[in-house]
Amino acid sequence: MFKNYLKIAWRNLWKQKVFTLINVGGLTIGLTVGLLLLLWVKNELSYDRYNTKWDRIYRLTTDIHVNGSDFISSQVQDVMGPTLVQDYPQVEKFVRLQPQRDIMVQKGHETLQEKKAAWADSSIFEVFTLPLLAGNPKTALTAPFSVVLSETAARKYFQSTDIVGKMLHINNTADYRVTGVMKDMPDASHFHFDFLLSMSERANSRSNNWGNHDYYTYVLVRPGVDNAFLNARLKDITYKYVSPFYQQILHFSLEEIEKQGSHVRYAAMPLSDIHFYANRADQSFIEPSGNIQYVYIFSAAGIFILLIACINFMNLSTARSASRAREVGVRKTLGSQRKQLILQFLSESWLICAMAMLLALVAAAILLPFFSEMAGKKMTINLLDQPQLIVYFIGLLLIVGLLAGAYPAFFLSGFKPLQVLKGKLLSGSNTGGLRSALVVVQFVISSVLIIGTIVIYNQLQYIQHRQIGYDRRQVLVLQNTYPLYKQVNAFREAILRIPGVENGTMTGFLPTGQYRQSPSFFKDRNAAIKDAITTEAWQVDQHYIPTLGMKVVAGRNFDPQNFGTDSSAIIINETAAKMLGFKDPLGKELYDPKTDVSDLRASHIIGVIKDFNFNSLHHPVTPLILRLQEERGSMAFRVKTDHIQDLVEKVRQQWDAMVPGQPFLYAFMDNEFNTLYQADQRTGNIFIWFAVLAIIVACLGLAGLAIFTAEQRTKEIGIRKVHGASVTDIVTLLSKDFIKLVLIAIVIATPLAWYVMNGWLDDFAYRTTIHWWVFLLAGCIAIVIALFTVSFQSIKAALTNPIKSLKTE
Amino acid sequence: MIQLKHISKHYPVGFGKNEVLKDVDLTIFPGEFVSIMGPSGSGKSTLLHILGLLEEPSTGEYLFEGEPVQRMSEKKRTQLHRGSIGFVFQAYHLIDELTVYENIETPLLYKNMPASERKSRVADVLDRFNMVAKKDLFPNQLSGGQQQLVGIARAIVAEPRVILADEPTGNLHSDQARVIMQMFKHLNETDKITIIQVTHSEQNAAFGHRVIEIRDGKIQ
Repeated sequence: MFKNYLKIAWRNLWKQKVFTLINVGGLTIGLTVGLLLLLWVKNELSYDRYNTKWDRIYRLTTDIHVNGSDFISSQVQDVMGPTLVQDYPQVEKFVRLQPQRDIMVQKGHETLQEKKAAWADSSIFEVFTLPLLAGNPKTALTAPFSVVLSETAARKYFQSTDIVGKMLHINNTADYRVTGVMKDMPDASHFHFDFLLSMSERANSRSNNWGNHDYYTYVLVRPGVDNAFLNARLKDITYKYVSPFYQQILHFSLEEIEKQGSHVRYAAMPLSDIHFYANRADQSFIEPSGNIQYVYIFSAAGIFILLIACINFMNLSTARSASRAREVGVRKTLGSQRKQLILQFLSESWLICAMAMLLALVAAAILLPFFSEMAGKKMTINLLDQPQLIVYFIGLLLIVGLLAGAYPAFFLSGFKPLQVLKGKLLSGSNTGGLRSALVVVQFVISSVLIIGTIVIYNQLQYIQHRQIGYDRRQVLVLQNTYPLYKQVNAFREAILRIPGVENGTMTGFLPTGQYRQSPSFFKDRNAAIKDAITTEAWQVDQHYIPTLGMKVVAGRNFDPQNFGTDSSAIIINETAAKMLGFKDPLGKELYDPKTDVSDLRASHIIGVIKDFNFNSLHHPVTPLILRLQEERGSMAFRVKTDHIQDLVEKVRQQWDAMVPGQPFLYAFMDNEFNTLYQADQRTGNIFIWFAVLAIIVACLGLAGLAIFTAEQRTKEIGIRKVHGASVTDIVTLLSKDFIKLVLIAIVIATPLAWYVMNGWLDDFAYRTTIHWWVFLLAGCIAIVIALFTVSFQSIKAALTNPIKSLKTE
Repeated sequence: MIQLKHISKHYPVGFGKNEVLKDVDLTIFPGEFVSIMGPSGSGKSTLLHILGLLEEPSTGEYLFEGEPVQRMSEKKRTQLHRGSIGFVFQAYHLIDELTVYENIETPLLYKNMPASERKSRVADVLDRFNMVAKKDLFPNQLSGGQQQLVGIARAIVAEPRVILADEPTGNLHSDQARVIMQMFKHLNETDKITIIQVTHSEQNAAFGHRVIEIRDGKIQ
């Protein structure tokens, strides 16, 4: 019986080649997109789940809000982790991490910079699932100056993983004993380290200080202990330990802070949430994270494209229901039950889906490398490694087949045999309303995607062209210039002599850099500690503002030659000026602790600079203080040359002459800037592709309906032509119904797209508005594409010799 | 075999109703060959549809082999379609996507007959109808008369006790029509199948034992 169904299905498909092509083609595109997005979403959702105990691991976070300034961080006090384990048996283990963004590792005569290193407690291998290829996980990180390498690092430095006991010279200061080699951390992890250094060499890892928030702290709880329990215990700890600390050091209590409407809070974030929710307000992330919004957007896009493809299928089957209805009638009189007919129609749509699925699997496998590149992550489609994928695919196949075949299966099978055999329903026109509605749905989706694409493109352009308060073009950045030590000034002078170099500044605190620090300041020497304000405060030199093309809006730049007192001078940005509330900030003083709060240092404001964006445009500009002080972290040179590589080469020669063997690391500031928006750029690119594919699939369906309509109205067209209708008249006649549907779709899509895209834009602190012309443009695109699709068929029908079409009757 | 008692059928038209059959009493015995005749709109097709369980009477009682049809479940009716009643249509209603062989095989599939038995049955019927050579052709490759032969072959392959034929020769010219009618006569005489046909033609009606005249929904 089933074979019989498939035979009929196959012959039907073969007979209706055009419709089959449209159905299979559309579904293949839809399923390919669906598969790729499934892999993407699955990958996103799999973050940190490689840990066998992932559901029992939490990271502790800090949320301090005092005097209108916030300190939000994923780092907590050094002593928090040990205290939790000591006081509460429900907390089994803690592990603290302190990432090091650059360490210097000696390899032969060379010193290489390594960016993925961290100090870690020895318990890391018990909390996280990080298998060792060599060494004992229990003891690997217990002794000071021991290091565990990743497989990659081990091969890089020793060409082997069997290296336990070997020595490694790190940071030009100490020899570390290799005590283990771990497998590389999985891609879907929120941290990746190649070097784990023993925490025991860090003195503050044993400190009892409740003020310093230095460590990323993870706790492993016992089974059955939940987030709420941890949060309640953290609150207890805050009152038990943190409050007395404040009382003792700062002379005010937690209760006083809370009375002011401020708060000091600690919380636990489940490990599986870190990838999506960790970095919203927190700049202290280990690695940039994902965005749950994109998971929703991409899931929705995938489902919608599949839906468009399913609608094609449904539409073409309703259009051709006339011929199938007769078959239903015959089969019923021959003794078929309704459920057998349902099964027959469903197996037909499953057959088509299975064909499309096979094609889609091939297409997805071919496209996966490109998609991975576009999405910036490693994804595989290896079915043997991921047996659950097969389940997903079959599930997808069954659902899509059911959806696509639902109409003929459940509607046609319900026909009374007599009605269809008598020839009622044979026109197939009574389903026209349903078809129109479905076409509208398709074009609503397509229009929303078109509008979304335009809005994303606009926002990315806006980011590129926005005045961000400094000039990032033609700036060469040299990273990690510490090795120059006392030669820094000589080096800078030497570089400035190279033709094409206009100016240069030395500081690690660059607008596109990673250096940040936010200490406390006071407006008043005798102010209570609780009146502290937290701002960014950076050490820069007097060349900083001119080199980066920033603008002083009041006062002046640093000038140590002419103003001896500039060593205690500061320059603030407009946002800081606003927050401080001085009418005329110039000459006013701010105070900050030299070592502790009893010893305050005064600084006078000599200038105000125009706000510049030193975070991504997702975040607003925050208060900033610039102070004149040597900071050798990196250098930035403004250059003007047509031969940039020659210039870089000359800089490199100078570097190698002064510090041979040290790594020469450089970048261009505009590239650094762009990496801030890599995720947005990627999303934009992926979105554009989806929009294009959605429209192609929708147009396939529209073309199919146009063919059907033209076929159905052949006689009418013939009669009209005989009576003098021109080709234009006929094309208009056939096209206008479709265009009407597209217009309705645009009207529905406009508010929908506005709402969705406004939500997306709200994630940026600096954003474009959605102009009315975006909708007009999207509408025009949709209509032009639809018109092109439909008119092709209409013109063909209109040009047919009427005698031919009338003869067939 | 078939007993109709006070059967009426009406369709709602506007606020009133259109009476198609009025108080029809009819008994058909096993092995009969009956022709229903009457002008267009007289209700003869409706009568046949009621006999074939394709339509339900508005009032009255219908006994098929002694069992009241009104009280039969959908399942039981399907059983009758599978085993006891065969249909032959004016427009043949073959399934275009199936070959001659497969069209004939279809009713057996619905009876869940084992493959080997199906094969021999279909082969048997093809042989009887002299269509072995044409078994792999599709309906559109056959003439109207040949298509109707396939239609009849399909109707009898499941060995029904009744064949209901709705103007089986209406689309055929007279030579073809005669072949079809002789086939019916032959089936009636040798296989003892009860045959009920609706026809316009006196000639065709003459092949049967009995003619039922129907006019304005009433049997004359």
